[in-house]
Amino acid sequence: MSTVLIWNLTLAFLSLSFILAFIRLIKGPRLPDRVVALDLITILIIGFITVYAARTNQPVFLDVVTILALIAFLGTVAFAYYIERRI
Amino acid sequence: MELLTALIMLAGSFFMLMAGIGILRMPDLFLRMSTTAKAGTLGAGLMLLATAVYFDSFSITTRAIATIVFIMITTPVATHMIARAAYFDGSALWEGTIQDDLHGHYHTTTHILDNQPAADTEIPEIESDDFQESG
Amino acid sequence: MTLFLLNVLLAVAWGALSGDFAPVNLFFGFALGYVILWISYRKMTQVTYFRRVFVVLEFLSFFLWELLIANIRVVIIVLSPRPKLRPAVIGIPLDIQEDAAITLLVNLITLTPGTLSLDVSTDRRMLYIHSIWVQDAETFRAHIKTGYERRVKELFQ
Repeated sequence: MSTVLIWNLTLAFLSLSFILAFIRLIKGPRLPDRVVALDLITILIIGFITVYAARTNQPVFLDVVTILALIAFLGTVAFAYYIERRI
Repeated sequence: MELLTALIMLAGSFFMLMAGIGILRMPDLFLRMSTTAKAGTLGAGLMLLATAVYFDSFSITTRAIATIVFIMITTPVATHMIARAAYFDGSALWEGTIQDDLHGHYHTTTHILDNQPAADTEIPEIESDDFQESG
Repeated sequence: MTLFLLNVLLAVAWGALSGDFAPVNLFFGFALGYVILWISYRKMTQVTYFRRVFVVLEFLSFFLWELLIANIRVVIIVLSPRPKLRPAVIGIPLDIQEDAAITLLVNLITLTPGTLSLDVSTDRRMLYIHSIWVQDAETFRAHIKTGYERRVKELFQ
């Protein structure tokens, strides 16, 4: 019973952090701030997936985590390259 | 075992929450990044570690540790690239910043960073972002 | 390097012989292989592998500890109603020149208390660091040079 409470608290923390990162994504004020917010959102999605994998007892989802970490890195680097070259 | 997993997950999500609050509260991009880079890395690392504890199998532990190492290596690289791009883009440092050794060291045309103060480098001021807010 | 590979091979052999590839068992096999190699190679004084293992272990524990401290400090800064901020961008002259060593140092600095490495100058002489809280530039430089750069240098020599 207490374990379920801890799981729910974990998901609540992640959701709250998601909302805060999303506010920063909307507010900006510049493109690099948005990219950092997007990066944090990807990390949060990684967190959600790990919780889901443990709750449903499906280790297959951990492959998704690996690929998502890779894509997040590539996306950030591509964004940084674009910001640096556009001026 | 499930209780231990849940507790590690809770710690990880707590650090992620700190990253979320930090990204909203900190006054400039560099301060924001120094909260998200650390808290995000430790948060994701702890949560992956929790899955390794939960499933308790060799292949999954290997995969989780590989992902943690990957995140630990790539986060600083991504942070460095964004910081560099932001400096070129003209993101202002917070007005409370006491010293900026980087100022005037970038050659804006060649994108070379020297270690001597250069006279001809002025970070250009861009009036608007490409994504304007309404209201 | 060959000794390290030999040690890994011994660990794998231990895992195969005991029929259990669990991480704990492999780690035990590695420790056992380390002792065996130490016994057989201890007369050769030019072999530095045995000391280096401890240097790596010390470095790893230092890094994990610093990561933990960094996060606690981030928590304090983020949660306090009036955060004590005194940020600065400081340039630090670098002694180390190898690519791998600089990369390691930069990663270490980004993941530790309040500091964020921004860029390395193109001629690799200067590292620019952003820090949340700087008392004055000279003590900060000394802290980075003695705390982090010395360890990285030790690891790579």
